[in-house]
Amino acid sequence: MVLLFFKILGGEASKNFARSDISFGFGWLGDPPGFSIREGIDLQPNSGIRALAVGGLNTLRVAFSGIVAATLLGTVIGVARLSKNFIVSKLASFYIETIRNVPLLLQMFFWQVLLQSRSSLTEESVGTKLFDVSNKGIASTWVFPSTGFWPWLLIMIGGYYLARKVARTRRKYQEDTGEDGHPGLFGFLTILGVAIVGWFVHPLLSFLSILWDGIGNLIGAVPAASVSLLIAGLAVAVAAIWIKRFLDTKRTPAGLGKLTDDDIFRMIFAGVSALVIVWIAFKVGGAIINKPDGTDASVAAVLRDGLANIFYWFGDKFTGEAGSPLAISRPVVEVRGTGGFIQYGTTGILATVAFASVWIAVTLYTAAFIAEIIRGGILAVAKGQTEASQALGLRRSQYLRLIVLPQAFRIILPPLGNQYLNLAKNTSLGTALAFGEIVAVGSTLMNQTGQSLPIVLVWMAFYLTLSLSLSGVVNYYNRRMALVER
Amino acid sequence: MSVANNKDVIICEGVKKWFGDFQALKGVNATVKEQEVVVVIGPSGSGKSTFIRCINRLEAHQEGTIIVDGIELTNDVRNIDKIRSEVGMVFQQFNLFPHLTILDNIALAPLWVRKQPRGEVEEEAMALLERVGIPEQADKFPGQLSGGQQQRVAIARALAMKPKIMLFDEPTSALDPEMIKEVLDVMKELARSGMTMIVVTHEMGFAREVADRVLFFDYGLVVEEGTPDHFFENPQHDRTKLFLSQIL
Ligand SMILES: Nc1ncnc2c1ncn2[C@@H]1O[C@H](COP(=O)(O)OP(=O)(O)OP(=O)(O)O)[C@@H](O)[C@H]1O
Ligand SMILES: [Mg+2]
Repeated sequence: MVLLFFKILGGEASKNFARSDISFGFGWLGDPPGFSIREGIDLQPNSGIRALAVGGLNTLRVAFSGIVAATLLGTVIGVARLSKNFIVSKLASFYIETIRNVPLLLQMFFWQVLLQSRSSLTEESVGTKLFDVSNKGIASTWVFPSTGFWPWLLIMIGGYYLARKVARTRRKYQEDTGEDGHPGLFGFLTILGVAIVGWFVHPLLSFLSILWDGIGNLIGAVPAASVSLLIAGLAVAVAAIWIKRFLDTKRTPAGLGKLTDDDIFRMIFAGVSALVIVWIAFKVGGAIINKPDGTDASVAAVLRDGLANIFYWFGDKFTGEAGSPLAISRPVVEVRGTGGFIQYGTTGILATVAFASVWIAVTLYTAAFIAEIIRGGILAVAKGQTEASQALGLRRSQYLRLIVLPQAFRIILPPLGNQYLNLAKNTSLGTALAFGEIVAVGSTLMNQTGQSLPIVLVWMAFYLTLSLSLSGVVNYYNRRMALVER
Repeated sequence: MSVANNKDVIICEGVKKWFGDFQALKGVNATVKEQEVVVVIGPSGSGKSTFIRCINRLEAHQEGTIIVDGIELTNDVRNIDKIRSEVGMVFQQFNLFPHLTILDNIALAPLWVRKQPRGEVEEEAMALLERVGIPEQADKFPGQLSGGQQQRVAIARALAMKPKIMLFDEPTSALDPEMIKEVLDVMKELARSGMTMIVVTHEMGFAREVADRVLFFDYGLVVEEGTPDHFFENPQHDRTKLFLSQIL
């Protein structure tokens, strides 16, 4: 039935395309898009794919910063709702009820109007600031990666593992001798020590640039066709492993248990998904596009070179130059150009009105839902668990950490993951505020090229990848938590 | 075996407790001697749970005094900590920690509260599981055990802190009939070993067999107390008679 439906739909679509004389293809990916984007890493993208990348990055930027902020705010409000203080808990309820019952798009418009009604930048405001809000957006002081940041980060990752090891040794010492081993304190001191030492010795890692360049060369040397092959092979392998694992869970000592229609459908779905990815990998991967420098290349080759470039770029960061890995940068208001335009300069961090409105709205909105999830999770850990802990003589900080939080986290995690997905998808409402995220950029491209179907495909692929990555991370933790249970 | 000459380990005088406007305890007087087994019975809502929960400060009483092993229960956190490490408690709903193995359930408090070395703690935990008859379940999780087994683990968990006194709040009420005996057997063994126990229960057979004394609660007061013989054969109060006629 479903297949038939898609077949008819597909047939109709191709007939219509033929009639309206629109060719279905991916050539536009390489063509200059002929419009500029208001914000992002590249305001004048010179190809369709670059424009989409700018939009995609804008989406990711607002989605991830929104997820972090909404989680923090939601936790605070969720805990506040449980507070014994009447005013605090009532305020938290009021926040949740109000925010949840106003449509998100309306909230975005509200913040946009509010920000746009701020005064504009004038001669008086010229100067260096710590934090500034105007109808041009929100500018703030920010910490940026600077000289030797990447080698320093690498050292910090090593430091993290070292700190974990130290903490574990101290914990074991505590368990073996019964004396307080202060594992948390020791771990913290370790990572602090590594950070300080790394701050000065990071130039010593410059020899690693050879390694990164080597990896880049290796990737660049791979034939383009094998990129498609690799993606296709990966998809098939993942599906096959998934189906095998799935069947294993259905296996009892007496043999394979009875499979329900739902089980069979899941396996078919996994298989079909893999085939669709294979098809896309070869169809899209093989498409030839016109690169900005005038040469032609397949999408697969562009992807491959992009990946290689990441390593080259990384290699370039290991210069061995001494200096502070982090730099504090303050925003400035300056007069730019001959027309006497008063603008924010390039230092500090600037959220445009559109970005800030979308970010504030999705953060506040999702935080309301997260607050309820956190509250529910803590409440769902039965009162008896706390009482049993108290009766055993555990202190509050001990039973919160050892008993309540591990159980609450397990309950909180799956719905929290859903909220993250919702937030990521909700950022697409930013189109209505002319925020240059992937849907807005795609729509403009659509108008320019008339290539609606391929762009819709790109959108779908983008959101699918984003959703799958997010739920992949959540599922990973979920499984780790669940394993403890059984 | 007589405990009449042992010293008092729990002394309650005029204990009163309110939940908002509702008074759950209206001036309870009771003493428990070392190695004594006291069974508390009474109708639902009469304040039995509230009473024993006051003894380890899961509930705070508002008037009167409670002295446990020479320490008076006040808001002083150090006293509360000291008393909680000497008083073990077993709940109706077991309240095992579902995310920890049976062994870790038992080992948790000795590790974190008594700060004993792990090797020693695990050895003692295994010995306790042996004592309650389920050493083979050590690596399972609570959800994989029957109710009777879970309650026996809960008893072992409380014993791991080497308490002087054990409180039981209807330990068999949530169990299927065929599992009640295995838990009662563990409790009888504990009583014979000389543990001081306060047991809230509806198991009259247990009360007759093990109790040194029975307290009858009604409307937040100890209405009648005495030996099991006195209590079951020759009750004095009308309310006691009525209650016994309903449950026996
Ligand atoms: N946390 C609480 N808040 C308000 N009222 C309470 C609370 N705990 C107990 N009560 C009330 O105090 C009274 C005594 O309760 P308690 O649990 O001590 O009774 P009980 O004798 O143990 O009864 P049962 O046999 O049903 O367990 C009851 O009326 C109960 O409703
Ligand atoms: Mg009760």
